[in-house]
Amino acid sequence: MPSALPDKLRTLVGASHVLTGVDCSPFVVEGRAPEAVVFPGTKEEIAAVLRAAGEAGLPVTPWGAGTKMAIGSPPNRLGLVLGLKRLDRILEHEPGDLTVTVEAGLPFETLQAELGKRGQWLSLDAGATERATVGGMLASDASGPRRHLYGTARDLVIGLTVVMADGSLVRGGGKVVKNVAGYDLPKLYVGSFGTLGVLAEATLKLRPRADVDRVVVARFDRLKAAGAAARAVLGSDLLPSALELADAEALRRLGLGGGAALLVGLDGIAPQVDWQVAELQRLLGPLGLGETSVLDGGARDDAWRALAGLGRPGHDRVAAVMKWAVLPAQIAELMEAGAAAARRNGLVGAFTAHAGVGIVTAVLAGGTNPNAVVSALTEWRALANRVGGHAMIESAPLAVKERVAVWDTAGPTLRLMKGIKERLDPHGILNPGRFVGGI
Amino acid sequence: MTPLSPARKTLLRREMEALLGPDGVLSDPEELLVYESDGLTLFRALADFVVFPRSAEQVAALVKLAGREGIPFVARGAGTGLSGGCLPSEGGLVISLMRMNRVLEVDYDNQFAVVEPGLVNLHLTWAVGPRGFYYAPDPSSQQACTIGGNIANNSGGPHTLKYGVTTNHVLGLEVVLPDGELMWLGGKTRDTQGYDLVGLFVGSEGTFGIATKIVVRILRKPQAVKTVLAVFDQVDQASAAVSAIIARGLVPAAMEMIDQLTIEAVEDAFGCGYPRDAAAALLIELDGLAAGMEAQAERVVAACRDCGARDVRAARDEAERQLLWKGRKSAFGAYGRISPAYMVMDGVIPRTKLPYVLGRVNAIVAAHGLRVGNVFHAGDGNLHPNILYDPRRPGEEARVVAAGAEILKVCAEVGGSISGEHGIGLEKADYMPFIFSEADLACMRRVKEAFNPTGLCNPGKIFPSNKACVEVGPAYRPHPIEEKGLAQRF
Repeated sequence: MPSALPDKLRTLVGASHVLTGVDCSPFVVEGRAPEAVVFPGTKEEIAAVLRAAGEAGLPVTPWGAGTKMAIGSPPNRLGLVLGLKRLDRILEHEPGDLTVTVEAGLPFETLQAELGKRGQWLSLDAGATERATVGGMLASDASGPRRHLYGTARDLVIGLTVVMADGSLVRGGGKVVKNVAGYDLPKLYVGSFGTLGVLAEATLKLRPRADVDRVVVARFDRLKAAGAAARAVLGSDLLPSALELADAEALRRLGLGGGAALLVGLDGIAPQVDWQVAELQRLLGPLGLGETSVLDGGARDDAWRALAGLGRPGHDRVAAVMKWAVLPAQIAELMEAGAAAARRNGLVGAFTAHAGVGIVTAVLAGGTNPNAVVSALTEWRALANRVGGHAMIESAPLAVKERVAVWDTAGPTLRLMKGIKERLDPHGILNPGRFVGGI
Repeated sequence: MTPLSPARKTLLRREMEALLGPDGVLSDPEELLVYESDGLTLFRALADFVVFPRSAEQVAALVKLAGREGIPFVARGAGTGLSGGCLPSEGGLVISLMRMNRVLEVDYDNQFAVVEPGLVNLHLTWAVGPRGFYYAPDPSSQQACTIGGNIANNSGGPHTLKYGVTTNHVLGLEVVLPDGELMWLGGKTRDTQGYDLVGLFVGSEGTFGIATKIVVRILRKPQAVKTVLAVFDQVDQASAAVSAIIARGLVPAAMEMIDQLTIEAVEDAFGCGYPRDAAAALLIELDGLAAGMEAQAERVVAACRDCGARDVRAARDEAERQLLWKGRKSAFGAYGRISPAYMVMDGVIPRTKLPYVLGRVNAIVAAHGLRVGNVFHAGDGNLHPNILYDPRRPGEEARVVAAGAEILKVCAEVGGSISGEHGIGLEKADYMPFIFSEADLACMRRVKEAFNPTGLCNPGKIFPSNKACVEVGPAYRPHPIEEKGLAQRF
């Protein structure tokens, strides 16, 4: 790093908001430490930092709480980490409009708590950690069980303010829930992993909180039966907010024994939830439904959190986590095939899935031998690709990532993606090398 | 562009006929007239050719031909658009997708359908209806408009309040890019890796290429539907009721407002059972599970009464429900009976600003010596002021355009948008600076270049520019199905 840069950064954002040297160690990505960590306090300061980095030719990695930094190809070089924790305000919340505008570094749980006081929520799931920021969740397109009914970030973001690589401030979308003026830039930025600009502010659609919010845990002897139960729910009049399938190994890791389970989220007003709980039991009874429990309050929250935390690094010898996107009707079969592939490589696979939308979280555990891990992940990717789906490594050791691609091979659309990247970040300073196709 | 010489035109016509067959190409000026405008007849522009491909490969070949010749081209569905978005504003080639109208695949287990772009929106619901499914986005022109056109405009409709707009229902697109390459964006599975090109393409108003196959979600029909009509003596009471319903934790499937002028026009024309002396009526529809439906309806009724509703009643049966919706959906045809012409605006505002903005709309229109009828998607703040006028009176049309611009400015000032579902097209291109800065527009232009570097694909739309090539013509002419009250434009 040019030696003048840290001083310049200190001038731009204040000395106490720049870290260098050993202080950067909490911000290591794939074994590489950044040359400096800088925490701007306003979007104008973000712009100034980006301009300074551009002049110095230094890559910039936007950083919320860092909870998704394991995703992506290993970077060739880490330059500046641009932390957003100081941009943590709720700028505008008008309950009657069911919209909120926030700064990107606002912790998601803080936002939910504030919205909850007014009887509303942002219909995304927090995942395993309590630290995730709104901006980080949007940039990484984080989602959870309740995407089944409420969609993902792309369905909830109605406006964004982004600081572009050249330091210009660009707004896309707006503050109203329906808007077709101009291109839908928020869609482009959601899930772009910081490669096209730094998210500074977001306007989001909200929902009223339901009177009643429960999860029914329906147990089955075999995964096949639980998979059939999921399909039966999808073909019924039920309107669950979540439909999660978990296999025996996943349940064992959650301390729930074996077999298989379907976790059905049901929310709404009391008569709706009550009818659905009864209807669910009537529907699944003939399909081999075993023990059933209905969770509410803290028990419900704990269940969702535990499920999301299944693949946390360090959790009971987890070696890698892969995400598959396949057709919903295929998942139970693919989970079984995935478990067999793990066993063939002397490892263990634990699987959960958003059964209604076809997203499988595949956790590889039971050993860390890189050859075995690489072989199992390669087989897993082939399984997903063979049925027309895709596979992405959410986390794996560096030694494994050097041998198995994080992302699927990019198809013909890569030229469009590269075309967009080159036009919005012509010098390639934004989180380079970590995204699809080397972007 | 430089006009094509007659000899060149003949050669190109022959080449296109060789590709599509003799019934696949129009180039006689009289035949082309039908395609000179869309639902917004304020703008007209004549193409050199209108062509009717039957396959994605033919579309790709036509796009390549246009590229080779440097001819601008634009895709067209049913032509029900309301912003001039599918006009051949710089001459050239109109590629009609109306012969690509098949449902290619329906997968009920995985709840999606693959369709061609020329398929009429409502025909998809007809196709999957017997199995208990439907396609949720329901623009009011759904009896005529095509799904390809819906993709271009990211179309909405009354039920988007609960179910979202087109973009929330599209999983994948096979597209012909502006250089003629055929490729898939997204697909049948979720979470495609890389940038969300599907999300970007939907709503790009035909400037990123031409969709040739579309994967959409299909939903199971709700178990129960309940439709409530609430009648108010003051518009402000109706506006307050919209927010009150939301504040009670309800998300109705639809929440539509109809003002007095519109009620009278509708009752004169069709007699749908709206009270003529009401200042405003709200049509509120709940759908979902049968369990709890009554309890939800009670909350709606209570919210309306708290806001001063004079009368609140639920439709007793499906026939009455259909009649109430007919009143809402045939408003446009009804305006045709009380005014020689009218222009519909499409602004969006935060719903809490409804009372203020409706007051401003009425004041602006009155100041221009005109009348306005309001019938709109109140639940998501999507206004549709319809300015009534007589194009035979000199200068009146110009006053309508001026009043329209002032209304959109007010929408922008309260934090809203200049289009909720009709698109920018030609009509509102010059209003984009109301809500976007130079930097915002520059970013959009750069994204456009990535898809459409030559600019031949639907030029002159969305971005502020001169409209010298377009004839601004007089007079709205209603579509025949509007006149019959079968469909309308918003």
